[in-house]
Amino acid sequence: MEYIQNTWKLWGIILIPFLLLTGCEDVIDLDSQAGPSQLVVDGWINNTKGPQSIRLTWSAPYFSNAPAKPVVNATVVVEDNLGTKFEFMDPDGDGRYVWGNDTTVLGTVGRTYTLTVRAESETYQAVSELRRVPAVDSIVYQKETLPIKPEKGPKEGYVAQFYARDFPGEGDTYWIKPLLNGQPRVDNPRNISIAYDAAFNAGAPSDGLIFILPLRQSITVDSLYSAGNMVGVELHSIPQETFEFLKQVREQAANGGLFATPIANVVSNITNTNSKGPKALGFFTASAVSKLSTVIDPEKARPEE
Amino acid sequence: MKNKIYQLSLLLLGVLWGLSVQAQSKTTISGYVKDRSNGEGLIGVSVYVREAQTGVTTNTYGFYSITLPAANYTLIYSYIGYERIEKSVDLNADQTLNIELGAESEQLKEVTVSTRRDDENVQSIEMSVNKVDMKTIKKMPALLGEVDLIRSIQLLPGVTTVGEGASGFNVRGGDVSQNLVLLDEAPVYNSSHLFGFFSVFNPDAVKDVKLIKGGIPAQYGGRISSILDVRMKEGNSKQREINGGIGTIFSRLTYEQPFAKGKGSFIVAGRRSYIDVLAKPFLNKDLKDSKFYFYDLTAKVNYRLGDKDTFYASGYFGKDVFGGGDFGFGWGNATATVRWNHIFSNKLFMNLTSYYSNYDYSLGQNTNDPDAKDKFDWKSKIISNSFKPDFTYYLTPNNQLTFGGQYIRYDSRPGSATAISEGETTDISLEPRYADEWALYAGDELKIGSKISLQYGLRYSFFRSLGPGVEYDYQEEVKGQRKEPIFPGKEYEKGDVIKTYGNWEPRISINVGVTPSASIKASYNRTSQYLHLLSNTAASSPLDVWTMSSAVIKPELADQVALGWFQNFNNNTYEASVEVYYKKLYNQIDYVPGSDLLLNQFVPGDLLFGEGRAYGAEFYLKKNKGRLTGWMSYTLSRTERLVETINNDDWFPARFDKPHNFTAVAIYDLTPRLSLSSNFTFASGTPATFPTNRLEVNGWAIGHNFEGKRNNSRIPAYHRLDFAATLKSKRKLFRKGEGEWVFSAYNVYNRRNPFSVYTQGDEDNALRTQAIKYSVIGSIIPSVTYNFKF
Repeated sequence: MEYIQNTWKLWGIILIPFLLLTGCEDVIDLDSQAGPSQLVVDGWINNTKGPQSIRLTWSAPYFSNAPAKPVVNATVVVEDNLGTKFEFMDPDGDGRYVWGNDTTVLGTVGRTYTLTVRAESETYQAVSELRRVPAVDSIVYQKETLPIKPEKGPKEGYVAQFYARDFPGEGDTYWIKPLLNGQPRVDNPRNISIAYDAAFNAGAPSDGLIFILPLRQSITVDSLYSAGNMVGVELHSIPQETFEFLKQVREQAANGGLFATPIANVVSNITNTNSKGPKALGFFTASAVSKLSTVIDPEKARPEE
Repeated sequence: MKNKIYQLSLLLLGVLWGLSVQAQSKTTISGYVKDRSNGEGLIGVSVYVREAQTGVTTNTYGFYSITLPAANYTLIYSYIGYERIEKSVDLNADQTLNIELGAESEQLKEVTVSTRRDDENVQSIEMSVNKVDMKTIKKMPALLGEVDLIRSIQLLPGVTTVGEGASGFNVRGGDVSQNLVLLDEAPVYNSSHLFGFFSVFNPDAVKDVKLIKGGIPAQYGGRISSILDVRMKEGNSKQREINGGIGTIFSRLTYEQPFAKGKGSFIVAGRRSYIDVLAKPFLNKDLKDSKFYFYDLTAKVNYRLGDKDTFYASGYFGKDVFGGGDFGFGWGNATATVRWNHIFSNKLFMNLTSYYSNYDYSLGQNTNDPDAKDKFDWKSKIISNSFKPDFTYYLTPNNQLTFGGQYIRYDSRPGSATAISEGETTDISLEPRYADEWALYAGDELKIGSKISLQYGLRYSFFRSLGPGVEYDYQEEVKGQRKEPIFPGKEYEKGDVIKTYGNWEPRISINVGVTPSASIKASYNRTSQYLHLLSNTAASSPLDVWTMSSAVIKPELADQVALGWFQNFNNNTYEASVEVYYKKLYNQIDYVPGSDLLLNQFVPGDLLFGEGRAYGAEFYLKKNKGRLTGWMSYTLSRTERLVETINNDDWFPARFDKPHNFTAVAIYDLTPRLSLSSNFTFASGTPATFPTNRLEVNGWAIGHNFEGKRNNSRIPAYHRLDFAATLKSKRKLFRKGEGEWVFSAYNVYNRRNPFSVYTQGDEDNALRTQAIKYSVIGSIIPSVTYNFKF
């Protein structure tokens, strides 16, 4: 299914017969009871230069659309397997705990990082290995004209793709973040693009290959790019547990329609050192990052097929 | 295990020999009962012997056999909607008597909706069985005017659906894959066109439909919840007949003709959706080469060689094709059945069936472009070949023996896929899988006195997963999450037996007559299933793969008990029944969160196993005669699953659990030309899982159920009203033909019935959480169909 979802251009054609039938979605009110608040870790550290931050918040009732309440006065420490400690501080009291400045680097490929959070007299821990990431070779783009004018974006534009090759050796997992004007576009969890070796999952071997086409093209999301856009990719190595986490988040976000899957709670790698204490949610991941961007120049675009 | 098969065979032979000795002093009368107008064999005709006060009914081929002491008898052949025939016979030696029944006068025929014995509901040993006459199905309102067998079945007690537009049907708490859908004895793996909106059966080619929900006789096996036995027409053996129609979705044409002076006949029926043809002129250049159509072709031929042998060959082929430009997606079934009916000694009837059934799909990009640097080509198929002898021994009118066996060979290619990425080819195909399934059965139907009839039987099924292949063990790190394979796997050569399973399946039903028009029936059956449809989506999708039992995937089993009261009123004008059932299901499959079921060679690691229970009460009232016919049914039921780690190890309702289900179908013949019909359906909303809390990660709001519950809530109820009117043309079509218009309106009061309700972040702001109601059909759907007959 993932493959078809990625060849998004073609869905329009498949859906034509359905237009006869008037399937529809309505936003409705739903009564939902809320459970008690739990600590949520939003921790993503990497090997790039610059400050690193870990956000701590409290979970809220599902339909509460107020900003999440920060967890303040916690101690947040990341320690690598060689004993180097990085203490994260929250001077603003907004739950965003920060280490380092514009010139520092935290992560090193091959090391394992342990996060320890002490909050409300509980101690939570999570471990993540910072794994290797291949370099991005190139970004190419091709002229494309859609059959119908889409709701978002232009009818004529460019499909960008990146080229990179997975390392030999099975089980490398990556998070592919599209870049637009230097900024990662990960705002929509439906578009999370993750790779297991050079393809979608462990069961379909693709070790050591150039990333397969749907993954390469996954940096073109929602709409076509236009001439002059600076487009690119940020490739993050992630541990397999994070691959599972992101996969479940995407599944939950994209769930619906005729072929919806049952919703289960998304996994977390945060544990309370006291197994009887309250459980925490969220995820802690250490990544290595490689990236490349280019400005779309119509002269250099591959011609339309 | 094999020893058991030998033992059972010997037992059968012994019984057979005993019977032939015992029955020598009596004489037998046997034959076929057919429809005079078209030569079709009539199923379930009552053949009553006045002097002996006993009788039999014709089998699925229209055959009957009665053995009695030599004397003079009067045989009465009766069948609702047909004239009644009395024959005097001087029974002093075995003889054959073939009968043709003509329909009652035209006027009466119009008001008849049921072609069967009129007190069968009460007298027959069958319980938990529903038959819907094709004539009735054709008069009922249908979505977009397309007469649909599966949708009609969903209006019967004990039958539900996952939701509007979903493929298949659910019987007494079983899932969609637990129904054995037989088309002329060959299993149909996917009964849907267009992802589930229409079923694959062409109504013009279907003769008889029977749904067995419980008390399943020993001759059936292979699926645990129900049997949907669809029989194709044999083809008119009296004269050429052409039927056809133009509907909103399909155009249909059926051709029937006799040959060899009526000894044989054939039928060919085809349907095709034609919206793509109509749409073509309106598509712009880019969409010109897009494809979206589905079709099916059904054909059958039969030939009678003397009085003792009849041969049948039938086939089905259907495809759904979608695609455009460099992309293509298609799926379809193909079945072929060859049958030989042979009458050995007037009393021993044999049907030998051999079938082939194939389901496949393919999905690809750039597959036809030899120069493309990026390609993807993915195919999946399952083929089964089977040989199946079935025997019926008509010992006395009060004692009938059935026995036989089946061999099925499975050849599955769960996924053959190659991906070419920038000129580099990777083969991500899954290994082919092979298996076979054997079964032997024997059953006896016995009348004890005038009040009690008993049907009991035993089936032994035996399954072998065969090499070549690699089997992995799986290691569980976190309970309920994906299990990792342990390398290396164990390799098997061609001819190796990887794993075997055997199951005894006892079946028993009893009918106790309380009054001539009322009876109590009870039944128990055990069933087993070695083939599993892996599907973690709400509605089953055409990509779902049928997967065979293996060391990790154990056979699914079910035990069901049912008890019922059956009563007819007003000279069999009304029939009523109340049934209660309890069903226990074992080795039921569930899935880890984020499971990958396609192109995953380690798919067993993504499966969880548990058990299920389903129970309910079904109330059914049907009016068979008069200008107003139809039925009402109410089912109160639950179906639940228990799977370790899901719902905190507690029972949870299955996705298609609908406690209340009410349906009403009414057909009213206003004038000989005009008939009106209406359906009403009410069903509880299906269960859904809603989060209690949200957490923010990466600027996304992620739902979290604090209690870790599954299906803790319900979506709003479903209800719908449909109307249809059938108007016969006054004028003869080209002097001799008949024509009719069918006007229908589906979802008359324009309700947006929910298929599901789900929660998620807004598409433009992942932090804004909301609940969304998804409706497959959101408005009234009117349609017009024209049918003709020559």
